[in-house]
Amino acid sequence: MKVLLIGEGAREHVLAESLGNSSESYRVYALSSYINPGIMEVVRKTGGEYLRGNVSSQEDVREAIRTVGPDFGVVGPEDPLFHGVADEFRKEGLPVIGPSKTCSQIEKSKVWMRELMWKYQIDGRLRFRAFTSLEEASKFIMEYGGSVAVKPSEQVGGKGVKVVADLQAYLSKEKRSALSRSVDEIGSLVKSEVKIIIEEKVDGPEYTLHVLTDGYSYLPLPLAQDYKHAYQDGIGPETGGMGSISGPGNLLPFITREEYEKTFEIVKRTAESISKETGDTYRGFISGQMMLTELWGPTVIEFYSRMGDPETSAIIPRISSDFGRILQLAAEGRLAKAMLEVVPEPAVVWAVAPLGYPLRRDLASGKEFQLDLERMREKGCKVYFGSIAYEGGKLISKGSRALELVSIGDFEESSRRLESCVKLINSNTELIYRTDIGRGIWEQQDKAEIVRYSYLNRVKRGTLGVSKDWSPNGGLW
Amino acid sequence: MAGIVGILAFDQVWNVSKFLYYSLVGLQHRGYATSGVALLDGKIREKINDVPPEDLEVDIGGWAGLGYAGTRRGYPVVTDDAALVIDGVIKVDLNEFSKRLVTDPESAILSAKGAFSLIALTRDGNLIAYRDETGLRPLALGGFGFDMGIIASEPVAMWVIGGEFRREVKPGEMILMSRLNVSTKQLREPRKAYCSIEYVYQARIDSYVNESEVYQVRVRIGELLAEERPLEADVVIGVPDTALPFALGYSRRLNIPLELGFTRTGSPIRTMLASDDFLKIVGVQLKLNPVRGAVHSKRVVLIDDSMVTGTTLKNTIASLRRLGAKEVHVLIGSPKLVSPCPYGVEVPEEKELIAANLREEEIAKVLGADSIHWLSLEGLRRALTSSSLCMGCMTRSYPKVIQ
Ligand code: SF4
Repeated sequence: MKVLLIGEGAREHVLAESLGNSSESYRVYALSSYINPGIMEVVRKTGGEYLRGNVSSQEDVREAIRTVGPDFGVVGPEDPLFHGVADEFRKEGLPVIGPSKTCSQIEKSKVWMRELMWKYQIDGRLRFRAFTSLEEASKFIMEYGGSVAVKPSEQVGGKGVKVVADLQAYLSKEKRSALSRSVDEIGSLVKSEVKIIIEEKVDGPEYTLHVLTDGYSYLPLPLAQDYKHAYQDGIGPETGGMGSISGPGNLLPFITREEYEKTFEIVKRTAESISKETGDTYRGFISGQMMLTELWGPTVIEFYSRMGDPETSAIIPRISSDFGRILQLAAEGRLAKAMLEVVPEPAVVWAVAPLGYPLRRDLASGKEFQLDLERMREKGCKVYFGSIAYEGGKLISKGSRALELVSIGDFEESSRRLESCVKLINSNTELIYRTDIGRGIWEQQDKAEIVRYSYLNRVKRGTLGVSKDWSPNGGLW
Repeated sequence: MAGIVGILAFDQVWNVSKFLYYSLVGLQHRGYATSGVALLDGKIREKINDVPPEDLEVDIGGWAGLGYAGTRRGYPVVTDDAALVIDGVIKVDLNEFSKRLVTDPESAILSAKGAFSLIALTRDGNLIAYRDETGLRPLALGGFGFDMGIIASEPVAMWVIGGEFRREVKPGEMILMSRLNVSTKQLREPRKAYCSIEYVYQARIDSYVNESEVYQVRVRIGELLAEERPLEADVVIGVPDTALPFALGYSRRLNIPLELGFTRTGSPIRTMLASDDFLKIVGVQLKLNPVRGAVHSKRVVLIDDSMVTGTTLKNTIASLRRLGAKEVHVLIGSPKLVSPCPYGVEVPEEKELIAANLREEEIAKVLGADSIHWLSLEGLRRALTSSSLCMGCMTRSYPKVIQ
């Protein structure tokens, strides 16, 4: 059987590996915009073929489908989904993992997502305002009395999100004027008419639940958490994620079974509501980027229409049943038959990027990497290739997170193992990675316990999800 | 004695001057006689004045900066290469030191003698911070959302501006923070000797320093005072703000009601630190007005954090008696201060320290107190869970010799 994988990052490397290791002996074909050394290895080993092209171009994908003649497809990243790449497979009658262009709006449009949650009264929703005019957005920020999160109305590669808590009245002027200045910058990233979405700001530990669906059944994967700050100890600008953890079991040490189930309910109801709203069945991955808040308990920050990266490399390596086959079953609408087994031990992932990520991608591009893969594997680390290309016999960085190192085992032990593995990477630039990932778990437990007091109290008082704000000029919101 | 802070914004749309200002105000309990900021915006400019941080007019801006609130004039020191703030003592020529710090921070720091925490801001926008291997002076690391990195004496400097405290800088650890990375390096093996005075009265009660919640330590000190010296009394009162948790712990342990014995006039100026004798006298009257309804016709236990010359307490006790206190027993939440601090904390000369010069009965007579008791050294050790402490000003034995 032939499978065609679309994408080129670490997430696709993980997916390729699980397809390559499947007992179904798939031949793995891939379409990437550059040669990912990890995907290349899987393609070679399984007797597939590695095609290069623009993964977000319908034409290039059509062409790849024609060349390969796959039995099913897997689309990894969001951008191809936004451009209707999964639809190209379905047009040919081919089973595929990945929602249609219409359904992937749940990720692409933050406004559509919030409107849907309010229309279908899905729990974990936040109050929001959408702005077409940047001046009005700035004015709202300057006038408004509460804490707000300001985001571009569309997914723009995780860029441009500004969050500001306004608990210190004496600083609110400085915070808001910096914010309203960045509104212009955010707005310039967005092509659609609605530019900016402003949401009430919430606080608490974050986590992700990935759910795989074929439109009939829903299969929740183990929870994961990604670490957004670029630098050591949770300091620095926002990134796509500098690492992640998953487990033990299906949970995280700071999320309870009830919270996991509640989250599953939210994600499932959202997928069903998308199908109802669009008349198009949601099929593929849908991931709830969640926060445990005092307002709701499980609260939706955003949805992904695919798997998260670097969450994927914390989750899939922990799956002990045949995940490649699960993908095929889901693509074919037979997900009810899938068996998911997960090792009990947690996993820790460290992403490694060249200096310059995320603020100066120019500095982070074109850098050379060398790694002693064999010794890293001996030490018990898995290595996935991300934003790094195989060019002329060398490993050359592409400006983002180049590698993801994975260790399965107890958190402390994994952190130590990763620390010794990361030393086996050489580069002609300084490397950025966070040694605190998987450490300080108790702090997160404490943070979760604090919000748990409040949201459980809200459950008791019947005020779950109820919040309002008022400002003299802005009125009640 | 000082509070120091460094803030760096990852995006230059921010002007951090107000953040710096409020962080400093959050640190002014560590010293307020003089204060200053330095801000980087193309070049480094500074604003220094002999006023508390509250009264400092900051009319300069920048996307990275340093702040100082303390007892030494002239900080931040601005040289051709960098700006510097220091809490503690450092034996270097700061001009030459800052030059070396910019080119090779590691060797510059390793060659510097002293007991200190330092933060430097270079002209090209790097923050360099170091806490010496004894950890005698505190230092903490944190941030403000995705926007700023912060290094400061105490987490309160982050909390007051809505930032997040991440962890304490380890003794012997260097932090390099730029827009593109934060890296840390252990330059020397820790030889922890945390300043006990931090717990007793230096740090703010909502703070976390030297691996402990300050508030909890102080309540525990009160409980241990109760074990060491249980008194027959009708009310317990504490001198705000430092001694309130002592009084609370004492009251709980012995079931003697806690009363609010004092109210304050003006801003809380720490009388012990006031350099001017006149200010000390005026300071005490401004600071503490005893509340008659709390002490009238009562046997009073009065708890304070420390005693230098005893002048402050003497005045307080006299006022309490004038308001109708039947008895006044004094408890001090720290062991006797008998010797100065060589590490930059303003413990006065031995000749000024009443406890170094007089016996307890004599001191009680001077103060006009019915009895007096200091927390024992053993009691302090029990209250502080950490075993690696400096108690030099109470024991005359010092953990680090600075040549
Ligand atoms: S001598 Fe006293 S004040 Fe100085 S560091 Fe040691 S304990 Fe602190």
